[in-house]
Amino acid sequence: MATVVIMPRQGQSVESCVITSFQKKVGDTVEKGEVLFSYETDKSSFDEPAPVSGKILAIFREEGDDVPCLENVLVIGNEGEDFSQFVPKAEGDSAPAPAQEEKVEVKEEKVEQVVATNESATSISPRARMLADKTGADLLKAIPTGPDGRIIERDVQRLVDMGLTVSPAAKGEYAQAVEGTGINGKVVLSDLSKAPEVQAVATQVAPEYEDVKLPNVRKVIAKSMHASLSTMAQLTLNASFDATKLMAMRASLKAGAEALGLNNITLNDMVLYAVSRVLKNHKDLNAHYLDDKMRYFSNVHLGVAVDTDRGLLVPTVFNADKLSLNEMSIAAKAVIKDAQSGKINPDLLKGASFTVTNLGSLGVESFTPVINPPQTGILGVCTITRRVKQVNGVDVFYPAMGLSLTFDHRALDGAPAARFLKDVCFALENFDLLLTK
Amino acid sequence: MKEFLDGSVLSVVEKHMNANGNIKELAINFLLYGALAEIFARKTGFNRGLGGSMHAFFIPFGLMPNNAIVGASGPIALGAALYKRSNHKKGIIVSNFGDGATGRGPVLESMNFASMDQITKLWGMDGKYEDGGLPILFNVFNNHYGMGGQTRGETMGYDMVARLGAGFNPSQMHAERVNGYDPLAVIDAVTRKKKLLLEGKGPALLDVVTYRVSGHSPSDSSTYRTAEEIEAWKNADPILAYKTKLIMGGVATEAEFDAIKEDIVKRMTEIMKLAINDEISPRMDLNKEPDAISSIMFSNQKVKSMDPTREADMLMPKEECPRVKEIKGKVRKSKDANGKPVSKMKMYNICDGLFEPIIDKFYEDPTLIAYGEDNRDWGGAFGVYKKMTEAVPYHRFFNSPISESAIVGSAVGYAMCGGRAIVELMYADFIGCAGDEIFNQMAKWQAMSAGILKMPIILRVSVGSKYGAQHSQDWTALCAHIPGLKVVFPSTPSDAKGLMTSALEGTDPVVFFESQRIYGIGEDFLENGVPEGHYEIPFGEPDIKRKGSDVTIVTIGAVLYRALEAAKILEEKYGVSAEVIDTRSIVPFNYEKVIESVKKTGKVLFVGDACERGSVMRDMASNITEMCFDYLDGPAVVVGSRNWITPAFELEKSFFPQPDWIIDALHEKIMPLPGHVPTANFTDIEKIDRSKKGL
Repeated sequence: MATVVIMPRQGQSVESCVITSFQKKVGDTVEKGEVLFSYETDKSSFDEPAPVSGKILAIFREEGDDVPCLENVLVIGNEGEDFSQFVPKAEGDSAPAPAQEEKVEVKEEKVEQVVATNESATSISPRARMLADKTGADLLKAIPTGPDGRIIERDVQRLVDMGLTVSPAAKGEYAQAVEGTGINGKVVLSDLSKAPEVQAVATQVAPEYEDVKLPNVRKVIAKSMHASLSTMAQLTLNASFDATKLMAMRASLKAGAEALGLNNITLNDMVLYAVSRVLKNHKDLNAHYLDDKMRYFSNVHLGVAVDTDRGLLVPTVFNADKLSLNEMSIAAKAVIKDAQSGKINPDLLKGASFTVTNLGSLGVESFTPVINPPQTGILGVCTITRRVKQVNGVDVFYPAMGLSLTFDHRALDGAPAARFLKDVCFALENFDLLLTK
Repeated sequence: MKEFLDGSVLSVVEKHMNANGNIKELAINFLLYGALAEIFARKTGFNRGLGGSMHAFFIPFGLMPNNAIVGASGPIALGAALYKRSNHKKGIIVSNFGDGATGRGPVLESMNFASMDQITKLWGMDGKYEDGGLPILFNVFNNHYGMGGQTRGETMGYDMVARLGAGFNPSQMHAERVNGYDPLAVIDAVTRKKKLLLEGKGPALLDVVTYRVSGHSPSDSSTYRTAEEIEAWKNADPILAYKTKLIMGGVATEAEFDAIKEDIVKRMTEIMKLAINDEISPRMDLNKEPDAISSIMFSNQKVKSMDPTREADMLMPKEECPRVKEIKGKVRKSKDANGKPVSKMKMYNICDGLFEPIIDKFYEDPTLIAYGEDNRDWGGAFGVYKKMTEAVPYHRFFNSPISESAIVGSAVGYAMCGGRAIVELMYADFIGCAGDEIFNQMAKWQAMSAGILKMPIILRVSVGSKYGAQHSQDWTALCAHIPGLKVVFPSTPSDAKGLMTSALEGTDPVVFFESQRIYGIGEDFLENGVPEGHYEIPFGEPDIKRKGSDVTIVTIGAVLYRALEAAKILEEKYGVSAEVIDTRSIVPFNYEKVIESVKKTGKVLFVGDACERGSVMRDMASNITEMCFDYLDGPAVVVGSRNWITPAFELEKSFFPQPDWIIDALHEKIMPLPGHVPTANFTDIEKIDRSKKGL
């Protein structure tokens, strides 16, 4: 009997996944375990292996389709086998009936075509332009459906409905770049053609820019970062501590790792450990600010910001305060690895009560990390620099590690935040004492 | 003189010339100055300089407009005579023209029209009314040349102008040839003609032989005649000869003539200087008074009766008029109370909508006359005047000869004299036959007279279908292009009635387009049907015939019903809600309602049965593009007929706009409709190709 392959549910919160590519097509023979297709959620991407060997009898979806979890994607079986029972039923928009399948295909094809033309010279109706100006719709994302690839009102309306808009700042840039000479300062065609000649020469060599559609991950990051900055009262405190002992300890841990069967414990692991402990005394920062209430967490769920090829991901180490330094190191490594390979369970990408982000390895001396709402704080770990301090009247050099704490002033005031930072510094400066606790 | 143009002419001669308190002197100065100032296009001229050098005239003295179009005064004079005859006015009309003008159709048409049998044989109605002929003298100043062409021996074949009379009626128009160089002979001849005309024996024709010594114009170098010929005529100078005769007869002395000449030279020099003095006789300043011409292009008055002092001549009380009785029994909408279509026989249609205000006005305005081909017993080719014969006497309602120039031109003359006329051209295609009368006469004289003349004329033209290339044309664009004409085109019975009422109340020339496709159509839009009694629909106001939100379709004329079909398909098949706006008027036109709609929908199509190139739809599309540019979601698109001849009835669907074409145009030019497969080609490539070929 033929075997149907469904869209798996990746984590409880995932409703649907987008098929990014099919590795097999109808008629192909597959071996069990061979990748059939790749798909992605907001934050992760996955490959779907063949559950059985056989021939691909039918594929019900197309690349780019947003398929609800648990719905049929394709059928594997023996040549000529009946698979009609797996053909998605005509129920809402999620599962088009076979009769409608053709229509859907035509539609999608058309979209593909116009996306291509969108990258070249695209025209736009004055009305669509006006609506875009009014709503801030991002015209670069418009799919023109007017005659000759013209963007018309309905295309802009679709952008607005999808929330695809440009920031006022970007619009400001546009306005500054072009001085309108038409009636009432209207930007007319001749204004746009006033670009410097140098640029014109350059364009003969290579295109001025390349438009690349944003992957889902980038869209999500953009949305949450922007929301974070625009809705919270964020400010950042910078401090540093003497990392002499910390570094010495790290060196000894590294040396003894094999003998003691320890994980490769990094400075970052040590910072995570210190933070997970100090946070217990600063409940305002181990919390979620939920507009009308604060949610204080009993345990510390530490978000770890990870730089991946696909963009920033923040997997969570749950109950970090219960982990030993070695366990902490193992747990952090595991989620970081999954995040970087794109295989992270989406459920691990949420639920943190506080986040630590580390730009120290990139030489950053201080920065303003952006809080991941509804958390109330984020600690940025900076690089180690050499500083001078006076010890018994003598100038001595010491390695100073920078910490940048951004906190939400709506949730707590400057002094308690500063106290937390001071406590973290003390804990890291005296890591040996901390471990004994 | 004091009241004429608010005394502006009089004040110049009073202030700058000395008439010694003599009213006659003042009047001579007034007349000469007013005419000369007009010739030099001065604001103090008889028509504020708007008539100009070729059109000097002074209505209070009965001096009707001179015309820059050779022979165009012929029909105008005919209309003036009609005015006298139909309104029982005393006096005669003299139509002066040159021998060159006898080659013009309108002149010949007018002579024939003036001679038609019915005036003496039918208009009397067995003694009920007078039965005399038209009191008009066609007075030809036969100077032998039309510009340079010599009428006798070269461009005409009649040998003598007087022989023309034999072609028009048994009395040969009482034609006489008279020596124009002998004033006494001319006086005698005119006296004889005047007597005939007053006896009801008109029309009359005089061939006054004379000569033009100077050139036709400053550019005339007289290459077409010899110096000897001019010299010979100069030697026979009638003024000198008459003077010699008067001296010889002892009527006057040489000294008296010298005094007269001295007075003329002095007076003319003085007046000429006044007339060309920029301070005393300024030209109109259109920078200071930008509306000076705008304000007189139309008179825009409402006058119920052009002569409220008289009762209208009618043959029976209105309620007894058979057509009025017939309409009383009709259902005034297209569907009955149960939503069932009313039978054609019982349904109040567009013909009825036109008829009602016309018959009302016949009873109200004694000056109203109506004529055209087949108007009386036939009831008009399409039945608008059906059964009107019984109620309106001949001299107010008659069949004209097939003479479109004379039909329209005479209406112009009739209106100039103070009457109101409805003339009909049967098919709009015949507009060409009356081109000058419509475009240069009917349209222009209100403004060229500085607003002194009124032009309450309704020219009914009907747009055909079914009858091929020369009987199916919508020429609204031609009429709309000419400044000075109002142009309307109703497409429902209630609009037809309301617009006809407005036209009849007004004092401006109206080209009233009708469509043969829809004469029989009933009222689909007004819930309570076509209102009874008097109501007006103001010119210029379009009407939303169907509300919608996604696309605006603006229609001109009968295409409304095809646009509504398209709207229905768009709604049912594509979920597109179309708003359909019926222009109703073309000139004047208020764009506000269309702009409002386009701001809402962002998409607009202009549809009409006229050939697309240069059509009113193109004009409107261009204006809407200018005014709504930022609101448009696509170009303003025109759907008109192909730039072809109209083919046979069976092929018309390939020529006139169809509902499908409207949808195709929307799909191809503005907003593609998912799943729609167009049949008509509105693409740019097709358009360029057609245009290259002149199609």
